[in-house]
This record gives sequence, structure tokens and C-alpha cells, in this order.
Amino acid sequence: MNSFFSRFFVVALAIGLIAGCGRRVADSGAGRPVVGLVVKTLNNPFFIDMERGAEEAARSRGIVLLVQAAEREVDVERQMQIAENLIQRKVSVLIIAPSGSREIVPVILKANRAGIPVIIVDTRVDAAELESAGGRIATFIGSDNYEGGRLAGQFLVERMGSRARLAVLEGIPGHETSDARLRGFREALAPYPEMMVVASQPANWERDQGYNVCQNILQAHPDVNALFAASDLMALGATEAIAAAGLTRKITVVGFDAIDEARQAVRRGAMAGTVAQNPVRMGAVGVEWATRILGGETPPPTVAVPIELVK
Amino acid sequence: MDHSVQTVLSMKGIVKRYPGVVALEGVDLDVRRGEVHVLLGENGAGKSTLVKILAGAVRRDAGTLEIEGRAYELSTPREAQTAGVSVIYQEFNLVPGLTVAENIFLGREPRGFLPGFIDQALLVSEAERILHGLGVVIDPRSVVRSLGVAEQQMVEVAKALSVDARIVVMDEPTSALTEREIGRLFMVIRRLRERGVAIIYISHRLDELFQIGDRVTVLRDGRLIGTRVIAESTRAGLIRMMVGRDLTEQFPPRGATVGEEVLRVEGLTRRGVLDGISFVLHRGEVLGLTGLMGAGRTELARALFGADPIDAGRVWVRGSEVVIRSPQHAIRLGLGFLTEDRKRQGLVLGCSVTENICLASLDRFSRGGVMQAGNERAEASRLASELRVKTPSLGERVLNLSGGNQQKVVLGKWLCRSAEILLFDEPTRGIDVGAKAEVYQLIRRLSAAGKAILIISSELPEILGLSDRILVMSRGRLSGMFGAAEATPEAILRCALGADAA
Amino acid sequence: MNLRRAIISYARPFGTLAVLVALGGIISVLTPYFLTVPNLLNVAQQTVINAVIAVGMTLVIISAGIDLSVGSILAFAGVVLAQALHAGWPLPLAILAGVGVGTACGLVNGLLITMGRLPPFIATLGMMSVARGAALLATGGRPVSGFGESFRWLANGRLATVPAAVVLMLLVYAAAYFVLRRTKFGRYVYAVGGNEEAALLSGVPVGICKIAIYGSCGGLAGLAAVVLTSRLNSAQPIAGLSYELDAIAAAVIGGASLMGGEGSVLGTLVGALIMGVLRNGLNLLGVSSFVQQVFIGVVIIAAVLLDMLFKQRKR
Repeated sequence: MNSFFSRFFVVALAIGLIAGCGRRVADSGAGRPVVGLVVKTLNNPFFIDMERGAEEAARSRGIVLLVQAAEREVDVERQMQIAENLIQRKVSVLIIAPSGSREIVPVILKANRAGIPVIIVDTRVDAAELESAGGRIATFIGSDNYEGGRLAGQFLVERMGSRARLAVLEGIPGHETSDARLRGFREALAPYPEMMVVASQPANWERDQGYNVCQNILQAHPDVNALFAASDLMALGATEAIAAAGLTRKITVVGFDAIDEARQAVRRGAMAGTVAQNPVRMGAVGVEWATRILGGETPPPTVAVPIELVK
Repeated sequence: MDHSVQTVLSMKGIVKRYPGVVALEGVDLDVRRGEVHVLLGENGAGKSTLVKILAGAVRRDAGTLEIEGRAYELSTPREAQTAGVSVIYQEFNLVPGLTVAENIFLGREPRGFLPGFIDQALLVSEAERILHGLGVVIDPRSVVRSLGVAEQQMVEVAKALSVDARIVVMDEPTSALTEREIGRLFMVIRRLRERGVAIIYISHRLDELFQIGDRVTVLRDGRLIGTRVIAESTRAGLIRMMVGRDLTEQFPPRGATVGEEVLRVEGLTRRGVLDGISFVLHRGEVLGLTGLMGAGRTELARALFGADPIDAGRVWVRGSEVVIRSPQHAIRLGLGFLTEDRKRQGLVLGCSVTENICLASLDRFSRGGVMQAGNERAEASRLASELRVKTPSLGERVLNLSGGNQQKVVLGKWLCRSAEILLFDEPTRGIDVGAKAEVYQLIRRLSAAGKAILIISSELPEILGLSDRILVMSRGRLSGMFGAAEATPEAILRCALGADAA
Repeated sequence: MNLRRAIISYARPFGTLAVLVALGGIISVLTPYFLTVPNLLNVAQQTVINAVIAVGMTLVIISAGIDLSVGSILAFAGVVLAQALHAGWPLPLAILAGVGVGTACGLVNGLLITMGRLPPFIATLGMMSVARGAALLATGGRPVSGFGESFRWLANGRLATVPAAVVLMLLVYAAAYFVLRRTKFGRYVYAVGGNEEAALLSGVPVGICKIAIYGSCGGLAGLAAVVLTSRLNSAQPIAGLSYELDAIAAAVIGGASLMGGEGSVLGTLVGALIMGVLRNGLNLLGVSSFVQQVFIGVVIIAAVLLDMLFKQRKR
């Protein structure tokens, strides 16, 4: 029987903790609209920026924002659970940055059934899949990844004098964001046959994989002199591998996302450039449209957030 | 005060209660400098609880404890150690991968030139000094894993001395030793006694107690029965104190008639372990197998049982030749193996009495793989009462049973299976006098019922008292065979040592 | 006579159950959204995948082993199932293929552990990588998605009001309970984990038992893959990362001992539900995902600490 007492002691401890964390949100929610924002993960600076932008917008508009994310960026099942839980929480609008462009569709259907409008940010939903399943989203807010990829490609063409041996680090295969960026990038290179992509491999959006994959590519292709990574985390991993090989500045690195660290790397010269999405703005626009939807407005199917190259 | 010099340990009114059980009820114990004080009692009498309290492993509920006139709480093993108490358990507390010297000074290594380093030379020479003082020859640089049981025990003793223990507790120190090793251990004990160390000696073997003990304290059911000077006691008197009744027939008379041959072994060989062993075993026969530790007795049983592979040899069971490849196969052929180490090899300690008794016969209690709990319980309850297993319930985990009762559960397992050929490896090891007598009677009853029994034992009285014939092994070979009438301890010992002398 | 035994064997799951009920109580005081039928069904549904994997893990842990490969096997079984569906296999056959692939991987684990005498940790660590690699190879790293309505019903459909997946989970648990408590095999599992040497010398077919145990564990990971694939309408080769740890956690919270010989599927179910309720509740309350990880960790450690305390007191 002792164990029962000790168990309840632990539970009491849990009450304290949960109450401490939960009270604030639960209390302040009274009467005001609640918007849920589910990002991919909160250990990626991009989404931390997005969260910040969303929170500032929420504060100024007097709505309650719940931000949740899975521990891992690739954990589509966990993201689904979180979204389901927020639907149970009866949020007024759900803003999602999908971890998987197809896997998110069942969640959208659930939200539709519960009558909760869904705003998709950052990563597009697979349109065919969504249509065949009969789901609908209020709007997509994002950078034009294709355009960003093109910007990066054009930049490298100019920088390398239309002649280079290129390595490419891809995101998770089959991932809409990665695909769009790479499509844009390849499109920009297409007219220049001397711009040779000698290696193109996935590093799954992760920094350490960026390091390892880049290291491997350098082993196989020592003549590589330019590198495009579909995200800054991978690009930063790559710059470290390049530095370890003593090739800093000898290889022109272009990343994507313009997170703070990447901007610094550009200033230092470790990277030549990075395509700036504006995650802060993206978060803010998401919340803005959420309130406008609650006010009865209908958003356009796509809201573009400006994109630019930082060099 | 003369008294405080004389008495090194004084425990008074020690009480320890567990939920539902009183382990110790006001026990007193006083131990003097330079004496061997024997703690005697059946299993469950409270000896081990008393020792655990002394070792700081268990806290007493009431009572006082003084060591050299100073009161101690002894709430942790560390405190017991600094108070000068050292306990050598049956299962040694040695790290097998470290050397003798490293084990002796484990946790107290002499500091080397740099902090964090160990002065190896000093470590070895100190260990050597202590071992030499004990009169034993062990290289302090050898790895403990490579030592025999007796040598490991000496390392434990040396470890106790290295912490300057004034009270050394030895729990069944001879249970795994051969006669010769026991002799050596006794020499060491006498040396310790001369140095003024008090020794608390726990053993079930009454012979030993008369050889080595000065005084004896008898416990029964958690109560103090009395403390006696051994020179003034008799065997029968001590047994009466322990069990509270007279144990006349320790070895019941043979009554069985030996029947037809059920097991024949020819030229059984396992390279480096068993060398050309041949013998036969009959229905209703008790065949004793003895020899020194390491002579290959257990190995023979394991090989017969299919637990270890053999290199050569033929085996017949009930007249037909068989090749036993696995214990499963052996069991199907009607063999049962009561292992030497019941906790490690005989029982699933976390499972219940019923589950253990029925473990080898689940086919009997299941239909299409589904257990028939009713039949199982009925059979387990029948066997448990037949074997007089003392347990709060059949659902009790065997973990909580005393050694003797655990052994009965293992026996029950093979009776449940109706095994016809029983291999008993040290069946009375670590169980108390009362339970021993019960096991002896059981063995008689089984042989009378026509079971063929092979008993492996290091205790000569046991072998002599039970067996119809006696096999002696030495260095993996059979070095002698005796009929019950012609066997004498001397002749057997000569055979056991035979190959050694040659 | 058997009352005491019964109390001892059920006290643990009930103790864990008390934690679950208390946890639910607290959360429902803090938020009105928790204690609603749809949300409770939602939690049950979210628990299915971990719970199904954890059944197999419980078997393995009771047998004193560990299986690190379940997450990877889940991914591999999922993509095989998905490709079979895309290739136009009939639904039952495709499901059988997925579960079969999982079982096969598990059997290989079992063979490596028994015949190859590898420690379970090493054998399944290897399988973890092999199965993951196989899943990536089979798909070129891309998710395989888009299946028919009938397949999606498995995870999303309902029988009366109860989600079909939850019914499946309950069936799996009922079966596992029966197997562990009422069959010879179940008894063997406890004996092998409690004392392998003694079991062997008592004629228990230890090798076959272990192969069956790891085979079932792999098969259940395959079954979980069916649910996951149906739920997401997609099979990802990188699915199931670190699911083995969730499953181990559920089993351990439920009272299974990594030393072997102890554990119960009821405990594991409650353990899995505790994890599910905790995550759901913290989501409802808007607590950060970082804090959630701390919570799960605290619950695991507390459960095991308490278990040890409980056992010590009893002695």
C-alpha cells in the first residue's frame, strides 16, 4: 500500500508542475479567440522566428496563441497527434507548417469536419492528395520556394561566371519545400551547360547530416567548387565540413532561409549567400489572416511572403 | 574493565520484524576476542537476519549493539565496516576481472605518484604481506576469475583483514570446499583466532563445529535457545536445541531392492573434463558419486543431462541406446536433474511455487498450449504437501522460501514430471539439519518407489549413509567403485586423492 | 489461498492505473476540453501505435531482452505494405505482407540471438539499421502515399462510436493477456526471463521461445505499421524514429523489469495510456513541447523508482 502513497506524492508533484505551466494559458484564454499554431519543430531557428512573429501579431490583436511542435521535424505522426489535440481543444483557427505535405491531409480533413479553418504556412500541401480526399484549406501563406531556388541558382551562375562544379544538399526526399527549391535552382542552371551538378544528395534538413554528406561528397569529388543547400542548417553543416577540409572560401556556399547564424556566416565569408525567407513575417501574416477569417473575410488561395537573397 | 576487553561484540534484545513475520525476537549474542563463535540454527531460524543486522545491511527494530564497549547503530554497510565488522558471504563479493591485490584493496587503493593513479608495487606487496600472514600461497597478481573457490575465499578473508576487521563473519564457508581445502581454511581460522580476531561462524555441519568452534549460540524460529561451550556439548544435545526434538534416524535404513538396469554409460568423454566414464544404474538403486571439487562430478551429470556436449561415449536408457542432445531430450527420456546451485540453475526465483513445480511438465497441464490452471494447482498442492514444503501459499514466489523449502520445490519439479532417473547434485547443500533429514528420507522413499538415483555429494557421511554403491571420481576419471558394505571414508578419500598422488 | 498472490500480481497495474486516473483527474480540473468522450477516444486512438508496439516489447522485456529495432521494422513493414497496396494487391494480402515482413525481421532477430548468441542489444541494434536501410532502399527515401478508402478506414473508421484502431488495440491486448497468463508459451516467457539457465535445465525450449518472442515483437511492429500507414495515408521510410524508446518507456512505466521475469501487458497498456494522456493534456493546456519531454522523463524515472521502493518495502 505504501506504493500508492508514494505514487500519489509523485502525482501531486505533477499537479504542481502542470498547474504552474498550464494555469497561465488556461486563465488568460477566457473569452478571447484561441488560435493554434503547429510548426514542424521548435529547435529550428526558422520556426522559432515564425513563432516570435506569430506571437507579436497575436499580442497586438488580443488573441490567444497556442504554439506546439513535435520533438523531431520529421515526426509526422506526432504532429498529427498535436493537431488532433488542438482540434479537441476547439481552437478557432489552426495554422500548420506541415512536416509532410501528404501526411498532413488526414489532419486537415479532421479540422474540416470540426469546422475549424486551416491555414497552411511554409510548406505546401500536396494539392492532388488534398483534392482527392475532399479536404480544403483556407489559404497557403509561404515564400515562393521555387522562386527562391531560382534566385540562388542565378546568384551562383553570376558568381561562378557560368562555370562551376556543383554539389547540392537536398532536404527530405519527397518533401514539397525541398522539391520546389531544387526545381527552381535547376531551372536557373538549365541554360548554362558549364554549371555541372556533380553530386546531389539528401541531408534531411539536418545540420549534422549536412556536415557528413558534404564531407562524403568532398571525398568523392574533390573538384567541387560550389554548393547549394536547400536549407541553412544543412549549409552550415557543410561549411564546417568545408572548413575542416581547409577549403573555406574555395567553395562557394549558398543556403536557404537566412537564419541568423547563416547571415553571420555570409558576413564572415564562410557562405556566399542565403535566400532570405521571412519567417517572422510569415508567422505574423498567418495570425493576421486567422483574425481576418474570424472576422468573416475570405483570404486568397495563396499569400506570398517576399523573398530575397542575402549576400 | 576486564569485561570490555574480553567481549568484542555484544548484541542484546535484538528484534527484527517483517510484515507478517518476526525474524528475530529478542536475541542476545556476545562474542569474545579470539574465539570462534558458531551460530547454529535451521534455515529460517534468524541467523542470516542477525548477520545482516551486524553487516549494516538490515536495520534492527529494537535492541542494543556494542562493539568493544561502544554503541553502534550500524545503519549502513560502511558503518559496519568502520566499526570493524567484515562479512564473508557464501556468494563472494569479488570482482572477477580484477586481480587478487586489486580486489583486496578495492576502494582503498594506495595513492600513486599522481592523484588518480594507483601505486601498483605497493598494492601487490601489501596484498602479498596479508596473504602471507594467513599462510596461503596465492599470487596477488593473478586474476580472481582464474582462482578456485577456496582461493577466492582466502581473498575474501584477506580483504577482511586488510580493513583491520575485529569481527569476521563467515557464512557457510565450507559449503563449496573439499576436505583438504577445509583443513586449510581451519588453519587460517586458527591463525586469525590467535591474532585476537573474533570469528562468527555459520555452518550446518556439526562435525566442523566440534573441530573449530569455541562456543555456540543456537537460534530457533527467531528466538535465542542458548549459548554453550562446545567442549561441553554433545551432537545430540545441539541437534535437540536446533530442531526442538530428537533426530534419531538421520539416515533411514535401506529397504529397497535393486531392480533392472535403467541407465548404462560407456566411455563417456568430454575433452579435458570427462575421460572414459562407464557405469550402470538400476531401478531402486542409490548410486553415490563423490570426489574432490573439480573432479568432474557435476560435469558428468550435465553431460548425461544433455546440458553440455560430449565428445565420445554411448548411453543406454532402459535398454535402448540414445544420444541425448538437450535437457529437453533428457527430460523426455525420464531424467531429472537437481542442480547444485538451485538459485542459479534450479529455480525461477520470481515465479511461484506452483509455477516452479510444474515448469518441467507443462505439457501435462495444458491442452493445445492453453494452461489448465485447476489441474496444475491440484498437482502442485499434492506435491507440496507430500514434500512438506513450508510456504504461506502456493502462489508465493520461491524467492521468499528458505533454502530447504526451495530445494523441496526443485525436487517437486522432478516428481511432478515423474522422472525415473534422478541426478541429485549436492542435494543438501546449504540446507539445515532438519531439512537434510527430510531430504534423506525422501531419497529413500523415492528409491523404494523404484526410482534410480545418482547422488553427487562432497559430504562423505551422506554418501556413505545413503548409497547402495559408491563411485569415486578423480580428475575426470572414475578412480574407484565400492559396495555399501566395503566402503570406508579412508578408502574413498584415498581414491579421490588417487590421481593427485600419482 | 490465492488472494495474496492475486493482490501482488495485480497491485502493480492497479498502482499504475491509480497514477493514470489521478493524472486524468488533474488535467480535467485544469481544462474542460480533456474529459469529453471525443477527446478520450482521441487519446485512445493516439495511443494505439505505441501501445501495439509496446505489447511486443513487453514480451521481449519479460524474457530479459530488449528490441531496439521496432521503429525501423515499423518503417520497413509500412513501406512494404504501401507498395503492395500500390501494386494492386488485395487489402488483406497487403496487410499480411506488412505484418509478415515485420515478423520476418523479428524472427531474424530471434535467430541472431539464439543461434548466433548475440546479445539482444547488439542483434536488434543491427536490425535497427538494416530495416531502416531496407525501407529507404525500397522507396528511394520518398514516402509512399495515397490509398483506398477501405484501407484508410482501419485507422480512421469507427465501430459504433469506438475508433476501429482502438478496437484492434484492445483485441491485441486481450490476446496478449491470454497468451501470457493462460498458455504454456506465456509461462515459458516468464521462466526464460526469470532464470534462463533453470528454464533450460527444466526442459523449456528456450531457443524456440526466444525466436517466437522476437518474431511476435516484429510482427506487432508490423501491425502498428498498418495502423500508422492507414492513419497518415502514407508510409514514410523515416517513420518510427525512436519509437522503440516510447515502447520501452510504456513497458517500464507499466512495471516490466529490464532484468526480466516481470511485467504485464495490462501494466504496459496503462503505461502507454499515461504517456498518451500526458501528451494530450499538455497539448490541451498549451504547455511547450520541451516541457512535455521533461514530464515523460520524470514519469519514467518516478515509476521505476517507486517500483523499486515498493519491492524493497515488501522484503
